[in-house]
Amino acid sequence: MFDIFHNLGLGFGVVFQISWWSPWWLYGASLPISINILMCLIGALVGTLVGVLPGIGTVATVAMLLPITFGLPPVGALIMLAGIYYGAQYGGSTTSILVNIPGEATSVVTAIDGHQMAKQGRAGPALAIAAIGSFFAGCVATVLIAVLGAPLTKLALAFGPAEYFSLMVLGLIFAVVLAKGSVLKAIAMIVFGLLLSMVGSDIETGASRMAFNIPELADGLGFATVAMGVFGFAEIIRNLDAGAEMNRDLVQQKITGLMPTRKDLIDSTPAILRGTVLGSILGILPGGGAVIASFASYTLEKKISKNPSRFGRGAIEGVAAPESANNAAAQTSFIPLLTLGIPPNAVMALMVGAMTIHGIVPGPQVMQKQPELVWGMIASMWIGNLMLIIINLPLVGIWVRLLRVPYRLMFPSIVIFCAIGIYSVNNAPVDVILAGVFGLVGYWLIKHDFEPAPLLLGMVLGPLMEENLRRALLISRGDWSVFLTRPLSAVLLAIAAFLLVLTVLPALRAKRDEVFTESEN
Amino acid sequence: MADTMGHSATANRNTSVVISFCLLAIAPQIFEFIWSFGTIFGWGAGRGPAAVVISHGTALLAGAPGAALGAVGGDTKKASSDVLLALIYSYPIFAVAILTIFMTIRSAQDYVGGIALMALALFALWASSDLQGMRGFSFGAGTAPRMFGGLLVALGAGIALTGLLTDGPGMAHYAWRGPLFVMASIVFFALAIRPLGVVVTAFASFMIAAMGTHETRWVEAIIVGACLTLGCALLFPYVLGLPMPMFPRFLVQ
Repeated sequence: MFDIFHNLGLGFGVVFQISWWSPWWLYGASLPISINILMCLIGALVGTLVGVLPGIGTVATVAMLLPITFGLPPVGALIMLAGIYYGAQYGGSTTSILVNIPGEATSVVTAIDGHQMAKQGRAGPALAIAAIGSFFAGCVATVLIAVLGAPLTKLALAFGPAEYFSLMVLGLIFAVVLAKGSVLKAIAMIVFGLLLSMVGSDIETGASRMAFNIPELADGLGFATVAMGVFGFAEIIRNLDAGAEMNRDLVQQKITGLMPTRKDLIDSTPAILRGTVLGSILGILPGGGAVIASFASYTLEKKISKNPSRFGRGAIEGVAAPESANNAAAQTSFIPLLTLGIPPNAVMALMVGAMTIHGIVPGPQVMQKQPELVWGMIASMWIGNLMLIIINLPLVGIWVRLLRVPYRLMFPSIVIFCAIGIYSVNNAPVDVILAGVFGLVGYWLIKHDFEPAPLLLGMVLGPLMEENLRRALLISRGDWSVFLTRPLSAVLLAIAAFLLVLTVLPALRAKRDEVFTESEN
Repeated sequence: MADTMGHSATANRNTSVVISFCLLAIAPQIFEFIWSFGTIFGWGAGRGPAAVVISHGTALLAGAPGAALGAVGGDTKKASSDVLLALIYSYPIFAVAILTIFMTIRSAQDYVGGIALMALALFALWASSDLQGMRGFSFGAGTAPRMFGGLLVALGAGIALTGLLTDGPGMAHYAWRGPLFVMASIVFFALAIRPLGVVVTAFASFMIAAMGTHETRWVEAIIVGACLTLGCALLFPYVLGLPMPMFPRFLVQ
């Protein structure tokens, strides 16, 4: 127990680290600033902005801002990228409630009841409850990371290559179970991702694989490049299909009275608690993350409510639960990344990319060798959540005004920004073209109802999986049964097989689809 | 199965699917052929167009059947990469295309998606065919790609099969305007950033991308494009310190 306080203390120390800044216009005088708090603020603000604007997702933004973090110290870079992720969960709720356009996939369900509340003139309480719920969930998740971090790291250090491989198989199976739509298609996307990760030099022999003598491919496909193509460009092209003009029925009346009533608070407290618990659990599981958490918690609230017909007509629980759940999940999804080095979703996969650029190999060693990095990031999450609740509510007006920027002006700007971002990663024009090609691939995938998220997960886990598989088989001298004879590995694989069987069973499949049906009304 | 000819609508749609599969089957060859025109102007090192046509033509028509027969007869002569491409990639897709003629497709979305993934996996199998496989119990460079490639072939076939067995959505509608201009903008950006610099490239790419929708109003787009260009020109090279050429090379010199 004492360890946790010690570690969190270390983290806050890192975040509040003061450095002296002497700009030329002060003629030698210095100002005390904390770079990390500044990064946290920038990340949270950019995240909120992204969350507010529909048509640009978290993954694309993190990929876009990756090159910007090159010049920063590693702690600052990670703090900023993390801020973008949870900031987007806050921002997404604002547009859902006020405009009925979810800025983010995670706040799709918030729109159902949130927008109804806004129409009834209760936009203020809806926004406030969403923010309070998110803040509470964020605090709980931060504590959870701190508590679970150390023991999980110890467990991870006991893992051999066989266990690691089995764990990754389990993670990918989770991604399949929690993905929307056909199981077969989700598995195919993962394998496609694994195959893409094979392009480039072989780690052990250095042989060039599937690179076709193109020098730019010798190093492998850049993860940010593919992410930007599949999530950024493909999304833009898809949005253009429907016509650039989206119907935006803004709630015109002024938002007055942010404070929720006593009854609102009493109604939403249990919902926030349930949402936080469910979100925290689903966030840790690979593949799900914030999107499934918000859907699942909304379904749960509707199921256990005494009067389910209230949902869809402005029930405050329908705002409180999903908003707490998505924020909790966004933060707890850092746990597998920080302790095991396995990214549970696409945003975390980009965080791996960011860490690698700064020369940090994610995994259990990081927590022991660079504790200030991990704990600094965890502490910054709590501070970021605090900042978000303070800055977000007064800034609602500005965010809403931003929504009036028409998509016909926004999309070329996003294209240019993405292109410059990709170019600056390696100063390679070929990367830009590759991202464009993957944009077309992503567009095709969307048209054929394939989910791109498992593809990215497969692509990140590919090299890790291959390496551990090779090592495990080398140690066992080519005996494949090693995955079943080592107890921990056998348990992990058994869970994976069990999950896969469950998902294919018709009864459970219907349940799984039910969770997602809320998005279709 | 011959009664599919009776339903003229199904037959019509099948024909277009079959033709596109046939094109898919020789897509890599066509791509190399187009690429080879560059060698005439001295870009890149590769075979000329004539050499490409002759080599792939003989591989598809003569080499591959010969190699296939030879393999049956126990002849283990090493096949060239073109012959392997025809054997591993083109022939299976042609076979699928021929089979498609006799099928009733119940969900074109799944069927075409599955077959395309299968084609991709077959292509990956060909691309990794020159790599070393297992050496005793240790993995070679080619083991993992072949494993995943084989798995994806099976999964693609499975998805295609669901498209045949269960009813589902047909092919989605593809727009051409958005993808065309956004891609044109990206390609222009990639080609122009080195010689022309950020200022010219960003503005021109913005304008090309803006053509992606008919709703664009030009005055508005020019103003926003100029502002964005200015912002990027200040943000990336100066604030973030990323090295980038600012102005066209010929103006700077």
